[in-house]
Order: sequence, then structure tokens, then C-alpha cells
Amino acid sequence: MLTLRDIRKSYRIGPTEVDVLKGVSLDIQQGELVSIMGASGCGKSTLMNIIGLLDRPTSGSFMLDGAEVSYTDDDALSEIRNQRIGFVFQQYFLLSRLTALENVALPLIYRGNTGSDSHDRCMEFLKRVGMDDRAHHRPNELSGGQQQRVAIARALVGNPSLILADEPTGALDTQVGGEIMELFKSLNAEAGITVVIITHDPGIARQCKRVAVMKDGVIVP
Amino acid sequence: MMIQPSNIKEAARSLLASKQRTILALIGIVIGIGSVIAMVSVGRIVQEESLRQFKEMGTDILTIEKEFGGSPGMPGAQAKSGLKLETIRDIPGGCPAISSVAPSVRGSGNVSFNGKKLDRAGPMGVTASFLEINKLSVRQGRFLSDLDEQSRFCVIGSRVAAELQKNGSSQLLGSKIRIGDNLFTVIGVTNEVPEGGMRRFEPNETIYIHITTGLRVFANAEISSITARVAPGTTNNSARDQVMSYFASLGKGPQVKITSPEEIIAQMEKQMQMFTLLLGAIGSISLIVGGVGVMNVMLVSVTERRREIGIRRALGAKRGDIRGQFLIESVILSLIGGAFGIVFGIGASWLIAHFAKWQFVLSISALLLGVGVSNAVGIFFGYYPARQASLLDPIVALKSD
Repeated sequence: MLTLRDIRKSYRIGPTEVDVLKGVSLDIQQGELVSIMGASGCGKSTLMNIIGLLDRPTSGSFMLDGAEVSYTDDDALSEIRNQRIGFVFQQYFLLSRLTALENVALPLIYRGNTGSDSHDRCMEFLKRVGMDDRAHHRPNELSGGQQQRVAIARALVGNPSLILADEPTGALDTQVGGEIMELFKSLNAEAGITVVIITHDPGIARQCKRVAVMKDGVIVP
Repeated sequence: MMIQPSNIKEAARSLLASKQRTILALIGIVIGIGSVIAMVSVGRIVQEESLRQFKEMGTDILTIEKEFGGSPGMPGAQAKSGLKLETIRDIPGGCPAISSVAPSVRGSGNVSFNGKKLDRAGPMGVTASFLEINKLSVRQGRFLSDLDEQSRFCVIGSRVAAELQKNGSSQLLGSKIRIGDNLFTVIGVTNEVPEGGMRRFEPNETIYIHITTGLRVFANAEISSITARVAPGTTNNSARDQVMSYFASLGKGPQVKITSPEEIIAQMEKQMQMFTLLLGAIGSISLIVGGVGVMNVMLVSVTERRREIGIRRALGAKRGDIRGQFLIESVILSLIGGAFGIVFGIGASWLIAHFAKWQFVLSISALLLGVGVSNAVGIFFGYYPARQASLLDPIVALKSD
């Protein structure tokens, strides 16, 4: 479902050009559980941002579900993020003023869906991550692991075909991190959702069916 | 962009989250909207009030005045250039459109009672018709009649009466008032009249004597103003034409200027319009200041919430959604300020009306103006920050803290 060919990304910092991605080619099939592993600074986050349509490559080709991604229409990119991609971040990135339930509802709101079916759907996904009893709590009333569960529910609620997780266990202790990984694995196994996990932790990477190792802006074969 | 209850709820919540800043921004808006409302509303009240007072006098009244300029009032020559009483009395005869006339002469000289000087009392020479034309009424005793020519009788306004009582007059009728060198006997008291009317004198503070007496005893007495009532079924314009040709037929007689109520009303409305516009302009300046306050708050809010913007963008918010979110926030902010401003402005105009003894009128147009203006301020000053927010690069926004 994802086909990246010779993706390059460089940033201009002052007078110098810094090449972060130096020609990444990668194929990810529907239903895969892939981890992209590498030391910090290897460009794995930049790669994830490009896959997540949050950032655009300097050059190269990116096919998503068989169609070349066009960066000219910003609204279309927003729509793809909303419909097909679920993000899970290391810092959870829940909105602190909203309750868990309202956070989960955000992707649906941007679809224009705010009815009662939206409420039921959000509750259903909160239940799936085991957070339905905390639906009306604010993020600061939840532990790190609980917040990440809410964030996963939020990523899932829009029924995406791809989950992009950037160091999802990075801020959690080993046991809670393990639980989160189990959640990803079961989502992948049961619902057939493609999951891409960015990590620097070989222990996490080892739990995935496939590991792509990045070094210095390229994927090591 | 879609406006939904959830958007509004969220905007309210984020404004509440920074209460202090919200309140500070609101002060500017409240003062701005408040002053616009107060000014428009007071302008409206004054307008209504003057019209009301004018209408109380009736709109079938013409004011005939001697045209000044051209012939400077030389002492001794006035009798020739002034309006003659006989000429005036003949106006209804010469002009069928005029039913009655009330000439008056302003008096000068010290007024005293029981040896005490009365400061707020002005003598005036009038005819019997004066009472009815000026819509005055007698409370006690009687008014001057045409049989009182050259008499030493006077009728006093209600405030003069109060003054006399304060100075020890137990029996108003029969009291003697000194005007200059002459003593006058009080034969009547007029009823209190609301203040600030269209009459060119203060009825409550006037001592009326007969015009013939006045012309004789007042120093440099000259009939300067005539109030004329237009006969029923005649237009003011035709009455005016008749009076003009009447005076023209007198040949070398004095020039007169005739003012009809319509002219005065039109002139007054024009003045009020200017007044309202001026006040509105002052209010607008405070509004701009308030609007800049809103813009400032929104810019700070956008900067502080860059990460939130990034998160929302990652979850699928389009640029328009983000812009709409911040626009709704600034509009709500301005509308809250506008609501307080309306209350503040209406309250202020009520107070002004109360102390000026005007009748308070709730101006619906001022209310609508307040809502409209605060809305416009919110959109106008919120647009730039909202646009800034919407143009943030998602990845830059997400990475900021």
C-alpha cells in the first residue's frame, strides 16, 4: 500500500543544505506490521512525517494505495490524513482541555460527523483500548499508559488503513510499553490494519514481523 | 469551514482557559461598544426629547422675528424700524391663514420682592393670546386680558411663585413685585411646564405683564418676536407667504424672518445626525483600540497553541477548519464584550437621560449596531491571527512547544 522510491529530503539551515533522507526506497504491503528502526538523527522521524503526509519530500516518488501523492492540494492531504492514517505519538499529543472522549472524537469532527453515532463509535474504541471507564477524564487525570491508550483509540476511530506510531512506548515504562505493543499486535492481527512503528529500541523492533533499519538517511538492506 | 455547537463550545472553553487575558481583551471591547451604544442611544434620546417637546407646542406655530442686520438699532430710531403693535394685531385680519398672534417684548431691569432681588425672574410683555398659543395654563388666579392694557398687573411663572413663597409671601395673589421703578400686583400663577422646551423663554421663570405696559416701562422696549398660530386647514407655507406679503404691503416697514416648525425640526434632525455621527466616530476609535486588543489576544493564543494546531492538522483538520476555529473564538470574544458593552452603554445612556430629566428611549438600532459592530470587530481583527494559524506548516506546528 505504500511505495516510496528514492525519497530525498534536505533542509536548509542557514547557508548549508542538510540532507536528512538520501534516497529512501521502501515498500509496505497491506496488513504488515513493520518497524523502522535506527539511532536518533538517522532520519526515521522525517520519514514517518513524509509517510504521514505531514511533511513533503524534496524529491522522489510516494505512492499511497497505488496513487501518487500530490502535494499541491493541502485540503486533499488533510483528507487523506483524516480518512486513512492514524497517528500515535511518543508524547501522546492529547488536547489537554478536552476529555478522553472528546479527544477521540476529533478525527470524526473533521469529517463533519458530530452526531450521536459518533459518540457511540468513540465509546466503542475507548472500550477496545480498555479506557471506556475513563471517557470523561481529562488527559492530566490519566497515567502515561492510559493517555497512550486514548491516543490509540483516537488513531483508530476514523477506521484508517494505516497506523503510524512514532516511538509509541518511548515515554512509558517497560511493562506498560509491552501492553501497548500487545495492543498494536492484536490490532494488526485481528483487524488487518497496517502498522508502522518508528523506534530506536531493538526490543520493540523485534516484536514486529518486519524490521527496516535506517542509518544515515538510507535504509540498510 | 463548519460552524457547529461543538466549535462554539470549544472556543468558549479555550477562552475560559485563559480568563485573565480574555477579561483584559474584553475591557477594550466593552468600552468601545459601550461608548458607541451610549452615544447613539443618548443622541436618539435627545432627538426624541426635542421632537416631543416641539410637538407639545404644536406644529401649527410660526415664529415671526424682526430681521436684524441692515438697520443697526440706533437709540430713538427703534420706534420706526421696530414692529408696531397695531401692525401685529392686524396680521390675522390681513392674513386669513393666521388665526391668532402673540407678540412679546422682553423686559429688563431689576426684579425684587419685599426688597429682595429675584435673580431667576425675567419680565416679559405679552398679550392675552400668549397663554393659549404657547400652550400654557393658569394654576391660580387669571391670566392677563386685553382689558389690562397699561395696567400694573402681572402673572408669574411657577418658579417665581415658589421664590415669592420662600421670601415670605403667604398670599401669592395680591403680592407686589417691583420691576425697575414700577410695582406690579400678582393676579395669577401659571402651571409648571417641563424644562427645556422649544419656547424661546423659560415659562416657569417669567413674570408676564401686558405688552402695552411693557412697551412703556421697559427700557429700549421693542417687539422682537411674534408667535403666530396658523388657522386650521391651512398649510404653514401658505400662511408664511401671506405673512410675508402682508409685511411687504406695508411698504417701508421692517423686514421679517419667518420660521416654521418643520424647518426647525429638519434643522434639529440634521444637527442631531451630525452629533450622532461625531459621537459614533469617537466610539469607533475606542472600538479600534478594543479590536487591536482582540487581535493581540488571538495572536498570543495562536502562538501558544501551535502544538494544538499541529495535532489537529495531523488528525485531518483542513486549513479552513483551523481558521474557522480561531475566527469563532475571536467573534465569541467580541460578542461577549459586545454584550457587556451594550449593557454598559444602555445603562450609561439611561443614567444620562435620568439626570438630564429626559425620557429614556431604548434604541433598538443601537442594540443591533452593538451586536453587528462587535461581530464585525471579531471577524476583522480575528481574521489575521486565524489566517496565521491556518497557514502554519503542520510539522512545524507539531514540533513546537
